[in-house]
Amino acid sequence: MTQSLKDKLVIILLAAVIAAFSITFIAIEEQVEIFALLVFAAALVLGGAKLGITASIAQSLARNERLMNFAFIAATIAVVFWFREDHFPLLMIATVLLYVIACCGLNIQFGFTGVVNFAGAAFFGVGCYTAAVLGDTSVPLLLVILLGGIIAAIVGSVLIIPVLRTRGHYAAVVTIAFGLLFRTFLEVNDTLGGPQGLGVSGMNLFGWDFNNNIEISENLEISFYMNYVVLALIMVVLTFVLMRRIERSWIGLNFDAVRLDETAAACFGINIKRWKIVAFTLGNFLAGTAGALYAMMLGFIAPSNFAFSDSLILVSIVLLGGMGSLWGTILAAGLVVLLPEKLQVIQEYRFLIYAVVMILILLFRPQGILPRGLRAYIPGWRG
Amino acid sequence: MNILRKSTVSAIALTMALTVGAGIADAKDKVKVAFIGPLTGGVSAIGVGGRNSAELAVQLRNADPDAKYEYELVAMDSECKPNVGVQVATKVAADRSIIGLVGHYCSAVAMGAVDIYHKFNLPMSVWGAVLPDVTYGNDYKEIHRVNGTMINQNDVAAKFMAEQGYKTWVIIHDTTDYGKGHNKYFSEYLTQNGGEILADFGVPADQQDFTAELTKAKQLNPDVIYFGGLVPLGVRVRSQMEKLGISAQFQGVSGIKSDAFIEGVGTELSEGVVSFLEGAPVDKLPGGQYFTEKYKAAGFAEDEEAYGPFAFAAMSLILDGIEEVGPNRKKLTKYLGDIQGHDSIVGKISFDDHGQNTVAAITKYVVQDGKWVVWEDSEYATGARKLAGK
Repeated sequence: MTQSLKDKLVIILLAAVIAAFSITFIAIEEQVEIFALLVFAAALVLGGAKLGITASIAQSLARNERLMNFAFIAATIAVVFWFREDHFPLLMIATVLLYVIACCGLNIQFGFTGVVNFAGAAFFGVGCYTAAVLGDTSVPLLLVILLGGIIAAIVGSVLIIPVLRTRGHYAAVVTIAFGLLFRTFLEVNDTLGGPQGLGVSGMNLFGWDFNNNIEISENLEISFYMNYVVLALIMVVLTFVLMRRIERSWIGLNFDAVRLDETAAACFGINIKRWKIVAFTLGNFLAGTAGALYAMMLGFIAPSNFAFSDSLILVSIVLLGGMGSLWGTILAAGLVVLLPEKLQVIQEYRFLIYAVVMILILLFRPQGILPRGLRAYIPGWRG
Repeated sequence: MNILRKSTVSAIALTMALTVGAGIADAKDKVKVAFIGPLTGGVSAIGVGGRNSAELAVQLRNADPDAKYEYELVAMDSECKPNVGVQVATKVAADRSIIGLVGHYCSAVAMGAVDIYHKFNLPMSVWGAVLPDVTYGNDYKEIHRVNGTMINQNDVAAKFMAEQGYKTWVIIHDTTDYGKGHNKYFSEYLTQNGGEILADFGVPADQQDFTAELTKAKQLNPDVIYFGGLVPLGVRVRSQMEKLGISAQFQGVSGIKSDAFIEGVGTELSEGVVSFLEGAPVDKLPGGQYFTEKYKAAGFAEDEEAYGPFAFAAMSLILDGIEEVGPNRKKLTKYLGDIQGHDSIVGKISFDDHGQNTVAAITKYVVQDGKWVVWEDSEYATGARKLAGK
């Protein structure tokens, strides 16, 4: 068997295993089974790493990136198709996908460029409120998603000067303050529904109402959340392509240089301010687009959804997955969104368990679950 | 839910049936009912108390040999956040094996979730949320509420305080719909009863420091500080009043009628605080003694808290309905819609055309020696002790 054929088999097998694992993880409800499954997965990964299997899988993946991307999209579609009639799993999958987009935005900001942003949920929220306000007007709703991003970017521009002038902890405090300000603003603003929140009309594309079940035949009625999952998946793919292009281009190089050493980068003629502004604006744009679709899907938003703790959740996804690592972000988003939900059965203790799991991961793997690899200038190049 | 392959499930069921044999044949059909409330976060004490009470209703029904079905309670945590609430509401509503729901203490969560129950035709009764709009803001026939709204509560509160001879108020309320609603209805009724509001302050529900608001309040020197909000905020306001040396009477709402409030501010500061709650106290309820005995016997680690009896009554009502019309969501909705004068531990339940229980008694409470005591039974009513400024 040639090396390339072996690589392809490995990738397809891996995607199939991941799909099967995701389906089981989403479907099971018993806490014993959930823990068993998590322990099993951890043992599998640790054992694989000890035996060098994970490393060889990683090499196979690196040699066939295009196939890998398609295999994982296919795996996602398989998972989604499995749950076609079940509203709740589809809602959770769509939520994960939208969190992935928002966290990609944060990845551009502090994963690539090193601009901290602890107000991720606020920019996500700007997208949500844009969708709520524009949803009832005659603006096409697909455009509303874009506008959600654009308005989040514009609102973010208020913060550009403080973010440029401060660094490290100080920049963090500036964004935290903005996040708090945003929530207080929403709570006292009665036109935006005040603390009680606002209803949001659902997505509607060319007369196709996203909030109706799709009736294929008498015994097959696909959940209306499928519409949102498909749209969110398309958005994730677009975001992913954008992220990869940026990462591999000279823009990504500039981002990395700014993050690693501002002084050195400036000495080589890189305009630090320009790249920070670009990264900050682009990141907020992505968070805003995700927020707009999220609001349409949930149908109801309130300021308590966009608290500081929600911003921390977004940050923890990025840290957990590995700064700047796209696959890591996807995996971490899945864990962070699904795990508390899966632990519903243990009720008031679930956040305790969830927090312990997070601390353990960060303690034993501070670089994140899937850390971003070294920059490969030519994909699949064996150097 | 059609998540696991049906064939696998039926294969397992078949094996089980074969091994267990005839013994299982006369077992009752299983029916699932759900509970949603805040089980984590700042108001979790009330949520957990409600959950235990709903659990108790299910346990008692399962122990009843005359019950036609065996019930299983699915309890969910809304975290008092609308987005999480919408998630768990979808989970419960989309699960066709769940027939009825007792849900929501936080009004903002209830507001986000009622659309989902309507969409999936899930009959439900609210057990704690007091915002009028939860029932009156829509025409959904699935939505009911056994507890009263803040409208009745503030009507009684305003009359009572005016009777005590107080003239001027400063209002501090949180800016959630809960606090704002209390502010609105209390102001309305207070003005009718001749009281005067010197100032009102809206504060975010997670504000820590009230020096600015309270310093202003001190200058105005009102007879009463009215507080509209929940326990954590109420504890901070009451403690900081003391630090600034404000001696005005502290008047709360149903949101602070919890033992957690007294624990939070201490026995000394809580003395003489008044609060108002829908329904009679547990021991004054028609079935209060029964409920307390059973709750103690069940051995829950936490107290039932203020709204426990309502959660119990709502769950019992839903179980009564399932017993009567069978495990069918549409039939249960119709059953609940026709409820008039239904016996429950919180008194007779009668739903109006919006599913609101119209028989809503309000009870006045005052803290005496570190305990919430019904006003009429307290030493304050007899004149042995006096409220602040009297």
